[in-house]
Amino acid sequence: MSKIIDRSADIGEFVPEKDDDILVCRCEEITKGEIRKAVHMGLYTMTEVKRFLRPTMGLCQGQICGENVRRIIAKELKEPIEALKETTARPPVRPIEMEVFGNEVEKL
Amino acid sequence: MRRYDVCIIGAGPAGLSAAIEAQKLGMKSAVFDENHRPGGQLFKQIHKFFGSKEHMAKIRGFEIGKELLEEAKNVGVDVHLDAVVMGIYEPHRITVREDDSITSYSADSIIVSTGASEKTIPFEGWTLPGVIGAGAAQTMMNLYGVRPGKKILMMGSGNVGLVVGFQLLQAGCEVAALIDAAPRIGGYGVHAAKLARCGIPFYLSHTVVKAEGNGKVEKVTIAEIDKNWEFIPGTEKTFDVDTVCLAVGLTPMSQLLRMAGCKTKYAGGTVPVCDKFGETSIKGLFASGDVSGIEEASSAMIGGKISAVGAAFRCGFINEKEREQKYDEYSLSLFKLRKGLFSKENKGRTDITKTDEGIDLSMTLFKKGYMTEEELKKFVRNSEIKGPHPVIECTQNIPCNPCEDSCSFGCIHVGNEISAVPKFDENKKCRNCKMCVASCPGQAIFIVDNDIGDGYASVSFPYEFCPLPEIGEKGFALGRDGKDLCVAEIIDVTTNKAFDSTAVVTMKVPKEMSMTARFYRKEVPVNE
Ligand SMILES: Cc1cc2nc3c(=O)[nH]c(=O)nc-3n(C[C@H](O)[C@H](O)[C@H](O)COP(=O)(O)OP(=O)(O)OC[C@H]3O[C@@H](n4cnc5c(N)ncnc54)[C@H](O)[C@@H]3O)c2cc1C
Repeated sequence: MSKIIDRSADIGEFVPEKDDDILVCRCEEITKGEIRKAVHMGLYTMTEVKRFLRPTMGLCQGQICGENVRRIIAKELKEPIEALKETTARPPVRPIEMEVFGNEVEKL
Repeated sequence: MRRYDVCIIGAGPAGLSAAIEAQKLGMKSAVFDENHRPGGQLFKQIHKFFGSKEHMAKIRGFEIGKELLEEAKNVGVDVHLDAVVMGIYEPHRITVREDDSITSYSADSIIVSTGASEKTIPFEGWTLPGVIGAGAAQTMMNLYGVRPGKKILMMGSGNVGLVVGFQLLQAGCEVAALIDAAPRIGGYGVHAAKLARCGIPFYLSHTVVKAEGNGKVEKVTIAEIDKNWEFIPGTEKTFDVDTVCLAVGLTPMSQLLRMAGCKTKYAGGTVPVCDKFGETSIKGLFASGDVSGIEEASSAMIGGKISAVGAAFRCGFINEKEREQKYDEYSLSLFKLRKGLFSKENKGRTDITKTDEGIDLSMTLFKKGYMTEEELKKFVRNSEIKGPHPVIECTQNIPCNPCEDSCSFGCIHVGNEISAVPKFDENKKCRNCKMCVASCPGQAIFIVDNDIGDGYASVSFPYEFCPLPEIGEKGFALGRDGKDLCVAEIIDVTTNKAFDSTAVVTMKVPKEMSMTARFYRKEVPVNE
């Protein structure tokens, strides 16, 4: 579904927007402006932005902000949202306390 | 490691139906849900569902959930609650957190029915306490009996926004307005009409500019937007509300499917690419319900059954012929549901101006949530009819027909095409049993008697608020727009088991109001 994003594409200059200060990722407290700037620094994929700024890496694991982050990056790249590959889904899909994993060690 | 023939993830309508069907086909089945109560979305739904009998229409959502759970247990499904499926591994293995330990289960087939989560729209102030999802509001009021706020602004006019908006009123909250960025109300007209006659205003082509307050939401400003989603200066309106409810769409919870590595596509969120049985690009891995594309509980139930049939074939419990037979049966039922004005193909279209029957759709209903009398006249003939008779204000093609079944005297006709607009057959005699009024999930049927003597008419309407009006009590009759019309006296309040908690209230109004008076508000004496 997602296509390879052309890294030589000219996406123009970063232009500040009125609502750049709005928090998009609440868990990690990342604003729309920060995400947009990251794209202009050359981070063209969800995974790159995620590793650089940590959106979608908090408690909700992108459940709340994932789609919004993806839309913001896609818009900055002037691409439709589906052109942008999602981040890798990894277990656990819900936050699990370390204690629970710790219990597993005893079972071994 | 424990083994089942099929493991089903999520005990919503899709998952439970899949488990029941799979077990019936001879598979040892288990269903896992992270919640303490099964039923998925159903457990929060206190309203009567749409559809036909075979789709469990007219039953309240949580009752459908209970019925499904009973059946699952009766047929021998292992229902694991408080069980979070953490991960999925090849070839059909899942890890589940139950209590404080992790168990691995393997199966020949896996059906993922994890449902959907709510979307959000960030705006200035959206992180203030008091901005919540409509689903959260429902959980608070309908599961825990807690009001989410005193005064609420609902954002989103799809069925979720409309239904939750009405439930907020039922819970005793004040709803300041319902707003939507789209130019038309997105959900069923009948759901919108319930809010409109309670006086709730709709602001279409509007969105939130900002929410403000000291540590919590205290006021919210909205404004009209133009075609490019830019605010139109000068159109701002501010509401003193303590809660903003977001009902701006759902997105499939497809993480487990992505983790498994199956092919996906974008359809309002990431959904798996499936064949007609819901089988993904990975053999033996199925998806059904909202996770495979946002729809309804009714279609999720059928989708679940179809995936179970697919899984049963995949694991050798049924042969190809049996599979096709079952598929044909279930897909017919699904086909009936997927028709009408709000079907997948028609969703979001603004060029449809007539019903399937060729009658002009009410444009006021799309804009304001109610119909004008002129628009309604195209659907119902009233004035010449003598004696009590139903006035059916259901004017959009939606797949629903409990009204037809509810009338033992055959007065109401929908027909085989369940998305047809219901019609009152004037040649039949209405016995005023009021079953149709109580049965209509859209609360869109009224019994009107144009002449009860002394220049008065009577109007019976469905009522789902506490406390009920009392016979003899006086108040105001309200129009479809929720505005005071005239003095009304309550002359009857009927409740009975068959009405399933919907009361039918009858008020006496001046004759000329018989086609305008549709709701009631108790008169509050001036000195109170
Ligand atoms: C306000 C509102 C009104 C509605 N009204 C109607 C209506 O009138 N008629 C109608 O037909 N439909 C209606 N619907 C839609 C209907 O509720 C949904 O379409 C339906 O519930 C989808 O069923 P499902 O089984 O796919 O998912 P869900 O009901 O969402 O169930 C999925 C379950 O899986 C669980 N789960 C998810 N991930 C995991 C995991 N990793 N481990 C364990 N468990 C997990 C979830 O917690 C949930 O319990 C309404 C929905 C809303 C929100």
